[in-house]
Order: sequence, then C-alpha cells, then structure tokens
Amino acid sequence: MRTICALAGVVIKELYRRKDFYVLFVITIIICLVMGSMNVFNDNEIVRYIKDIALLLIWISSLVIAITATARQIPAEKENRTLLPLLAKPLTRTQLILGKFFGCWAVCGLMLVCFYLFFGLLSATREHQWPLLHYLQAASLHWVMLGVVISFTLLGSLVFAAPSSTSTICFVVAAGILLVGRYLDRIALSLSEPWRSIVYAIYYAMPHLEFFDMRNLIIHDWPLVEWKYIGLAVLYGFAYIVVFLAAACLAFRRKPVN
Amino acid sequence: MKGILKTDKLRVEYKGRDFRQGPKVALQGLDLEVNSGEVFGFLGPNGAGKTTTINVLLGFLPPTKGAASLFGIDVRQPIARRRIGYLPEMTYYYKFLTADELLRFYSKIFGLSGAEMDRRIDAVLNLVELQEARKRLIKTYSKGMQQRVGLAQALINNPDLLILDEPTSGLDPVGRMKVRAIIQRLKNEGKTVFFASHELGEVETVCDRVAIIAGGELKAMGKVSDVVAQHGTNLEAAFLDIIGYQPQPI
Amino acid sequence: MPGFSTQARKLTVTAARTYFLALAAFFILAFGLAADLGPRLQAIESAHPRYDNFYGILLGDSRDLFANQFFVEADVYYHSGYYPTIFDQTKAFETPHIAADTGDVASHNQGEETTFMGPPRDWIDAFGRHFVPDRHTHLDEGGPTDDLSKSHEVAEILPWLKIAAELDPENIQTYVVTAFWLRTRLNQPGEALEVLRSGLRNNPGNPELLFELGRVYFENYHNIPRAREIWEAGVRMLKQQVAAEPAGARNDFDNRFLLDQLESNLGQLEEQAGNFNAAIAHWRLAKTVSPSPAAIQKHIDELTQKPWIPPGSPFPR
Repeated sequence: MRTICALAGVVIKELYRRKDFYVLFVITIIICLVMGSMNVFNDNEIVRYIKDIALLLIWISSLVIAITATARQIPAEKENRTLLPLLAKPLTRTQLILGKFFGCWAVCGLMLVCFYLFFGLLSATREHQWPLLHYLQAASLHWVMLGVVISFTLLGSLVFAAPSSTSTICFVVAAGILLVGRYLDRIALSLSEPWRSIVYAIYYAMPHLEFFDMRNLIIHDWPLVEWKYIGLAVLYGFAYIVVFLAAACLAFRRKPVN
Repeated sequence: MKGILKTDKLRVEYKGRDFRQGPKVALQGLDLEVNSGEVFGFLGPNGAGKTTTINVLLGFLPPTKGAASLFGIDVRQPIARRRIGYLPEMTYYYKFLTADELLRFYSKIFGLSGAEMDRRIDAVLNLVELQEARKRLIKTYSKGMQQRVGLAQALINNPDLLILDEPTSGLDPVGRMKVRAIIQRLKNEGKTVFFASHELGEVETVCDRVAIIAGGELKAMGKVSDVVAQHGTNLEAAFLDIIGYQPQPI
Repeated sequence: MPGFSTQARKLTVTAARTYFLALAAFFILAFGLAADLGPRLQAIESAHPRYDNFYGILLGDSRDLFANQFFVEADVYYHSGYYPTIFDQTKAFETPHIAADTGDVASHNQGEETTFMGPPRDWIDAFGRHFVPDRHTHLDEGGPTDDLSKSHEVAEILPWLKIAAELDPENIQTYVVTAFWLRTRLNQPGEALEVLRSGLRNNPGNPELLFELGRVYFENYHNIPRAREIWEAGVRMLKQQVAAEPAGARNDFDNRFLLDQLESNLGQLEEQAGNFNAAIAHWRLAKTVSPSPAAIQKHIDELTQKPWIPPGSPFPR
C-alpha cells in the first residue's frame, strides 16, 4: 500500500505542477462569468442556464483532464525511460498500475472539489441556497464515473501505441457512451444481423456512464435520488474499475519494457 | 567469494518484424557469475546483448530459455530486486520533481521512512555532490547532474549489487571522473558493481573482472589482467581481438 | 577575371529585373482579383443578409440548427429536464409545449405526454430510471393566478429563447413564445413589446408577430385602438402573404389557424368596444377558417339576440 501511495503521490505532484487543470479552470470561470453577465430581460434570478453551462464545462474539463493525464502516464514513463529504474525496484507491475490509477483518480477528486466549490459559489450568488446533498450525490457519482474512465484509459494506454491515440479513442468512447449508451439497444433493433447482436453485446458489456450523470439533478432541482441507488451505482462503477484494472494488469504483466 | 548474480544458459529471442523473418536471437546460452564485492565489467560491441542481459536480470524481459538469479532468487520475483540498485542509460528523471522529492519517492518504494529516509537521502546526495541542488527541479539540471541523480536513486537503498548501464555515456571528462570516483568509492565500501560500458579505459581502471560478449555469446570472462595478457597489450586490443574485429585499410 | 565579373553583373541585373517584373505581375494580379472579387462578395453578402451579424459569420447556415436546438432546450427546461430524446416516443412533443401553450401556435402534438419512455426495456433501463424523476411537469404549474412565486420559474426558459432568437432572427416562433411568457407569467409586457419589435425589425410586417403584438396592447395595456390597428394590419399582411406565396409553399393549416386567431380576437375586441356589428363581421370571417364553426355560429347567434349596448360599455362575458 505504501508503494502504491508513493506512486500516486508522484502522479498528484505531476498533475498539480502542470498547467492543464489551471487553464481549464480559468476558462470555465471566464465562460461562466461571461454567460452569467448576460442580461436576460432584466431578470437577475434566472440561474439554471448558468448552472447548465457551468456543469457542462466541468464535465468536459474533468473528462479531458482524466483522459489526457491518464493516457500519458505509462507511455511517458516508457519514453523518458523512468519506467526502467522504477521497475528495477521491488515493486510489481500491478502495484504500478494501481499507483497510477489512484494518483489520477485522486487528482480528479481534488479537481472536482475545486470545480464544485466554484459551481456552488456561482449558483449561490443567484439562488441563495446550498443544496449540499444534491452536490454530494452529483459529485460523488461524477468521481466514480471518472474512476471508470481512468481505468479504461489506463488499459487503453497499454494497448495503443501513442498517448494521443489513446486520448482520442478514450474520449470518443466516453462521449459516445454518455450520449447514446442508453439507447444502443434501440439502435440495435434497427440493424440487421450480425450487427444487431454485436451492438446488443456492446450495450450489455459497456459501462453505462450515463447513470453517473446527475447534472439535471442540480440544474432542475430534482428530488434527491434514494441513497440505496447511489450506492448501487457506486458498486456498479467499482465493478467496472476492477475489471478494467485487472485487464490492464494482465496486459502489462508480460509486456517487455525495454 | 559468493556468486550473487548468475545466469544459466540464458537465451533470449525476439519475434521478427513479420512472419517471414524468424526470431532474432539476442542471447544464446549466456553463463555469467558475478561475485560479491567485485566490480565486474560487462563489455561488448553495439548489439552484442549487454542491455538485453541487464533487462533479463531486472525482470524487464522474460528469458526464452535458461534462468537468471540475483542473490539466489529468480529474477522474476520482485523481492530479488530489493538489494540491488540500477542506473539505466540515458534516463530523464521526472522533470517536475526535485532531487529530494525523487529520492523520497524511491525510498518509500524500498520501505524507508522517517529519520532513516532522511539520513539515506543526505548520504547519497553528499556522495553524488548534489546537496546544494536538492531542492531544485530536475528539469533545471545539467546532463551530468541528471546522471548523478540517477546514481543517487540507484544507491538510495544502500544496495549490495549495483547494475550500471553505460554510466558515463554522454558525460564530459569532469562528469566521467566524478562517476568513476563514486564507483571507486563504492568498490572500497565492498559493494558489488556490474558495469556495462564501451569505455574500455574506464573499465580497465575500475574493474576486477570482465566478461566480453558478441553476437549474444560469451566470448571471454576473467580477471582484467588475465584477459589483457591472453589477447593483447591493453584491454582495447584484447577486446578487438576477442570480438574478431578486422580493421579495414582506409 | 574582369570579363567574368561583367558577366556576373549582367546576370545579377537580369535576375533583379526578373524578380521585380514577377513582383509587379503578382501585385497587378492581386489588385485585379481584388477589384473583380470585391463587388461579387458584396453581392453575395447583400443576397444573404443573414450573415450580417456575429453568429451568421461564425456559424453560417448551421446557426439554424443551433437555434432550433436552443429552442428545444427551452422546452426541455419547461419540463425541468424530464423530456424525450429522439429515441423516445415523441409524438406528444411534436410542437414544443412552450409554443403550444401560448395558444398562438398550432399544436401538432398527439397522445399521452407522460409515458414517452414506455415500460423499462431491461435491467439497465430500469436501473437508469431511478436517477430521473418519474413525473411530467411544467414550469408554469400553478399559473399566474394560483402561485405567482412558482410560476416565475418559467423565466428559466428565457435565456435559451434569447440565444435562439439571436442565432436565427427569422424564426418567428421564438419571438412569439418569448413575448407570451414574458407578458403572461412574468408580468413584463414592456420586455415582451421589445422582443416583438425586435422580431418585426428582422421580419417586417410578419402577421404572427403583429398578432402577438396586438395581444400585448389588448390584454396587458387594454389599448383597444392600438390593438385593433395592429390586428387589422396583421390580417392585411397575412392575406398579402398568402396571395404572394406559391401554392403549397406554406402550411395552409397554419395560415387558417392564424387567420382564425386574428379574426376571433378582433371579434372579442369589438365586442369589448361595443361595436357588435363589427364583432359579428369578424366572427363570421373567423367561422370560415375555424376548425369548430358550429361553436362560433352559436356565439354569433347569441350576439345577434343581445339587446343594444352603447359603444364603450364592457361586454358581459
């Protein structure tokens, strides 16, 4: 565990010393403030569109940071040859994968804290309330979703050759699941065999990231989701994290690193 | 004397780039034995199999046949690497860390903590003369300083066996001299050093024994003085003779 | 060597001349092209006045798509995010409810609104439904008379309507819907007037906009002469528009619906003004295009049986 924490610590240091997060955070703030300053028929109580835009930017930023940061972890270690002195230490490749995963996931958690804090402040200035439990449900599921994305990006970074291709493919996959994942079964119905069976198989096998998208809960003040379903969604996410990490460990186990 | 690094009929084959090419043999039946407390020079021309051997010894590459062990433990076990230090050739350490942070990170992997970790970091930084620059980001270091950081990380666990792959490659004469002095000091401390290099003069100066490989095969192994005596007037002449180099008239 | 240097000098001079000639030819070509293309570009721009603002230049014709998306987004907000996607049953959402509920737009919606998701298809779908509300809502629930504080929530749809109007200034529905919600639920008739005037600036003489403008004067400002003037102008413009349109260019159903609205409202206006003969004339015109002529005839019959009420007295409803 100590080794995994040490590895995660280096990942965290790397990401907070890079500029990616700050750039995206500042862009989010600027866009939200510009949109917030829009005069909508002299009504200063309108808030949902700002919440919508802010959450969309937060989601895009979090996905970009999670995917790009994870995709370059192991390829960068290979390219800079830091993987060699690292694996020459008494640590297993599984520990390395776990360390990278927990580091990236922790960074995403910290980033979400910053983003949701800004979001809370922004919406509080207009609607003068702090629906903390709503934020907690949305942010926690968002974080678990990022865990799933990080784990499949780690796997992708071991399968694909270049970090750029890993990032692009993983971003397309994540966005695709979020946008049409829920409806793949209906798409399958309109297809002929063998595509129908293939799309059905993908529908049942893929992680349904849309479960974790709770933006509407906050934007439209929906009633809180029952906690047991939040718990089940978290378990569902953890199951996929375990599966992807296990696959990453298997892919990395026999891979020559020279 | 005890053999702490051993290879037994080590064979490594790489897959060809396409199916028409057969496997490429990188090592064929390599038998090595490095004794405790000696500085062992591992020599060979480019492509001879030096780095492949080191990769197998560190568990980076599985052997196709044969076996390798460190301190009597199969190299595929991570525990075999607990008592070794490794300095790879041309490595760019994490640019976003300081030397102090880098060494703390590696110390934690070895299970060091608290005062013991601080003491160990101080010791290695003093040894590689980076005490002053320890709080600076590694990206601001010169090439020589980066190489010394590499040496520091290889020594952080106070290893019994140090594996160095071209430790002076790309360094200026002063940098080389410093690295050589450190190896000499480690030798005096009774450490075992396994040292792959092209710098024959350096090897002749610091090594007790050498092995020379070419084409993945062991061509000669023994004390430096014996190898020189058998094959030439100095190590360079002996090396060229052993690998069968025929100079072409210009 | 002097011969060599003379030859070299000649070569250098020749090269320099060639260079300057090529440069001059290039400039002549560039100026010629600019002179030729400038008027052409202006002609293209004047033929496409839609590209005269920032969004037009940025998005080109695709801005209509974005505008439509934002208009639908306003309807999504109207339903607090509980809204069908293209994969759901959308027959009950053919006409956005924000538009249909204004009464100014003909609704093409059919069927039940609440069951667009249908029964869960599998465990994934069933589990996913725990994360969305299970009821259909409208932001103006309670209405202006029941619960004003709640009905103010309808203001949340306005930003999307504003953006949709900016993106597609020729989409009449956007102005009509925005003005309706501003004046009826948010009690901002002044803002509604501004929206409609802006719509008329972009679409001069549009009968739908004139109809909604007349409603603001009639219902919010009780300015009968102004409302009459505007609605009569609306009827004239609609007739001109229909006459100018090639056959089948516009949905006849929508034209008839608008004429019905204009004439019915003029009928009501004249009743309020005490001009019963004029009112009956408008109701008769409305009857010719109304989907329920029997109801209108009944109303005309009631009017013809009423005792004489002096002009200006409010008509008993």
